[in-house]
Amino acid sequence: MTLTRRSALLSPLALTALAHLPAAAQEVIAGLPRRETIILENPEGTIRNSGWFNIWALNAGGQSTGLQQLTLDTLWYIDPDRGIDGQAWDNSLAAAPPEYNADFTEMRVRLRDGIFWSDGVEFTSADVVHTVQTQIAHRTLRWHAILALNVEQVTAPDARTVVFRLRRPNSRFHAQFTVRWGAIWIMPKHVFERQADPARFDFNPPISLSAYVLRNFDPNGKWYIWEKRQDWRRTSLARFGEPGPRYAVYVDPGPPDRRVISQLNHELDVIHDTSPEGVFTLARQSQTARGWFRGLPYAHPDPTLPSVIFNHQNALFQNRDVRWALALLIDIRAVSMASYRGAATISAIAIPPTGTHPSDYHSALEPWVADFELDTGRQKIKPYEANVGRAIADSLRPSMRDQIPTDPEQIARSFGLGWWRMNQQAAAELLERAGFRRVNNQWQTADGRPFSVRLMVEGEARPIMTRAGTMIVQNWRQFGIDARVDVAQGTFFDRRGAGDFDTLIGWSVETYGGHPDLSYFLDSWHSAYVAQPGQVQPLRNWGRWRAPELDALIERMRTVGFNDPRTVEVGKDFAKLMVREMPIIPLMAYNVFTMMDEHFWTGFPNAENPYTNPVTNWGNSRYMFTRLRPRA
Amino acid sequence: MLAYGRHLLKRLGQFVLVVFIGVNITYIVTHATPINPVEQTIAAVTNFGNTSPDAIEDMRRSLKALYGLEGNIWEQYVGFWGRVLVGDFGPSLSAFPTPVSTLIGRALPWTIGLLLVATVMAWLLGNLLGGLAGYFPRSRTFRVVGVIAMALHPIPYYIVAFVLLIIFGFLWPILPIAGGSGMNIRQAFTAEFVLSTLKHSILPALSLVLASAGGWFIGMRALVSNVVTEDYVTYAELAGVPKRRILGFYVMRNALAPQLTGLAMSLGAIFNGAIITEQVFGYPGVGTLLVEAVHKGDYSLVLGVTTVSIIAVAAAVFIIDLLAPLIDPRVRAVDTAEAHA
Repeated sequence: MTLTRRSALLSPLALTALAHLPAAAQEVIAGLPRRETIILENPEGTIRNSGWFNIWALNAGGQSTGLQQLTLDTLWYIDPDRGIDGQAWDNSLAAAPPEYNADFTEMRVRLRDGIFWSDGVEFTSADVVHTVQTQIAHRTLRWHAILALNVEQVTAPDARTVVFRLRRPNSRFHAQFTVRWGAIWIMPKHVFERQADPARFDFNPPISLSAYVLRNFDPNGKWYIWEKRQDWRRTSLARFGEPGPRYAVYVDPGPPDRRVISQLNHELDVIHDTSPEGVFTLARQSQTARGWFRGLPYAHPDPTLPSVIFNHQNALFQNRDVRWALALLIDIRAVSMASYRGAATISAIAIPPTGTHPSDYHSALEPWVADFELDTGRQKIKPYEANVGRAIADSLRPSMRDQIPTDPEQIARSFGLGWWRMNQQAAAELLERAGFRRVNNQWQTADGRPFSVRLMVEGEARPIMTRAGTMIVQNWRQFGIDARVDVAQGTFFDRRGAGDFDTLIGWSVETYGGHPDLSYFLDSWHSAYVAQPGQVQPLRNWGRWRAPELDALIERMRTVGFNDPRTVEVGKDFAKLMVREMPIIPLMAYNVFTMMDEHFWTGFPNAENPYTNPVTNWGNSRYMFTRLRPRA
Repeated sequence: MLAYGRHLLKRLGQFVLVVFIGVNITYIVTHATPINPVEQTIAAVTNFGNTSPDAIEDMRRSLKALYGLEGNIWEQYVGFWGRVLVGDFGPSLSAFPTPVSTLIGRALPWTIGLLLVATVMAWLLGNLLGGLAGYFPRSRTFRVVGVIAMALHPIPYYIVAFVLLIIFGFLWPILPIAGGSGMNIRQAFTAEFVLSTLKHSILPALSLVLASAGGWFIGMRALVSNVVTEDYVTYAELAGVPKRRILGFYVMRNALAPQLTGLAMSLGAIFNGAIITEQVFGYPGVGTLLVEAVHKGDYSLVLGVTTVSIIAVAAAVFIIDLLAPLIDPRVRAVDTAEAHA
């Protein structure tokens, strides 16, 4: 029997009790009119150093408390979706895109006029210069290293111009000042220049450069209240109109079940993320809650690609045949069902199927992928199976009916295109070519030891990925591989960095989403950054894969401008290389179950109107505020 | 008096030894954790960012210096005891530079406020009803109470908590389901804050009382069932002593000694926090603070919370040991005999 509020209310006890109680007895926020207030989840949870707003310190406190969404600003923003007014790129504090010289050793920035800090001081190029110079001068500031490594000199020829002279050619230096999730934020010179040690300054209360200011916060770090600036017109956000909510409250709403209850009670307007089961409950029981997609998969696909990442410093996985064999043993339908209950957006290539990428890469490359041949040593196969996303949608339709789209294009956006066909025969042939043998239905490596593979997962901190990993291990075990789930819990980040894993479920591919350039993650994959065994691997090439062909591709990318059409060609070549070599097994987009309640507010971004990212901890979710309007 | 002095010194020595050993074990365990706070911080600040790989090593060096993790483990150990003896646990590594003592000081009043009330309420309720049920075994009312207590007692705590959450937070939403007090209310001794705090504490406190009162009830009923068969109770009844007096002074008082010990232990354990309660109801207490510190490898904070907890439990035991001879003459007799032996 399903427990619903309606069914429970039919009980005489509840009816009697309700007759004696006010309809909405629960307190929401004292002193704030609910119809002028939007309540959003802060996924960081409880902020222990609650009064710390100095985001420039290495030990930055809460960032997604509303701080980076509502008060900070920087030169540019790039949206993972279509972008406000149809432009993913936004010149925010900058008046125009960056201007590089021919060899990418100088970047010139022109700034906007008429932008003011919330204390009335005008924003100028001196703030940008001070931000950079202060970071370079203090090792304990967060962006010290990246700026010290790149910037030889920063100058302000006038109040509206900043010139960066770089230590080495860098065609993507502007990315440091471009918000994807966050970026180097501009600090107020007039405040920080008075601090002897800027790393020890709490910046409380924060001076705002965007449309809201801090009104109040919980010393225990569970909530932060921001109020719209009276002079919001003097911020970069004003170009898109007046932000709707007068107050924005970022809260720690607790575990997924409590988030769902809070949204059903209309006490939480935006859930950052919850479980698939929670979303199904909201879809069934709430008249006003909706996700990015109206039906399944509901979730917003982040430009992040959960994958099976091999440890390439483990001899077992240095053979491409072994990696491909493990890929061909995965039943992606089962993985989709186990992880996201079917609400996954699958990807056969190593690029997230979101933002501009489905058209730039997935659709464009599908003919090539469909023709791709894999030589197993005994036969040549075409491993790609088209329409897997559609098959998943069809299998869900009987139980979820109108929640499943019927338009093929929408199905492709929601569930993805194809994936690699499960093929145990081909996998066996590949393993045999690698010298492996099957003995008593159990696979042994070339040296006669059991073929053991541990698949590291985070555990309860990331249950969806843990479920995916468990299903993949089951697929491998059914084939006779001694596969085991390795639940790392809190040690995941340490072990990932230390290379203490065979394979893991995680992501080493993250992109801008709204722009085809892949430099955001790809530059860090250069072999120059691969750590020796035993050393800590810097982000993001966790698998420590190195290949001369990859290096050549990255070096080519560095010479191509960010907006040069050739970036797409670089991206396609990367995707093809990844298919041939299979250094990671791409699975799906990181679907975030952001749920928006339209009981008090309308105008949220969604798949039909993807003007920005609603995921609450992303810096560019600020654009959402300019489109939100109170429900009539 | 001399025997009591010896008793006090002996127990004091035990107290100091327990605290010393407990804190040392905690120090060893926390420093053996595979979670490195520096890597946790790097992961937190770079996970979503576009930091170049060659900047990471530089960042790692800066963090080690900032967190004071550059010395060897022995230097850190000596420094740790030097600070602990003056009540300073250093800065939290996960909420740097906030001092550990500030974080504990912020969380502890919530934990004490909730758990003290809930523990005492559960103890009073359980023992009172248990005593009555043991003394009036044929009473239909107390038999029903007994059935309820027996039914509630084995239910896992988190089930009780979730059921309350669903009933009073969703089906009949009359109580707040998260936080220690309402949002946007200044934390001061005002009527608004006190009322809001009380309202927010009803569900977590009720869950704790429901989950633990059954245990006290069952224990007290069993104790009283034994005591009522003692000769002095029978004699008092034959002598016509009023039932209320027999129940209060002859039965309950004698049955209470082990329950008092249990209460003291429970009160000492308050400082551990109530992790599940805090998680389910989003209550701002020490338990969640400790769990988060463990996950983030913040051993300064783990050590701080654990040391406070060890001292509290050891102090509770110490106080019971001091009071026991004053309450129970049999303990005094044993100590005196040991002194003469």
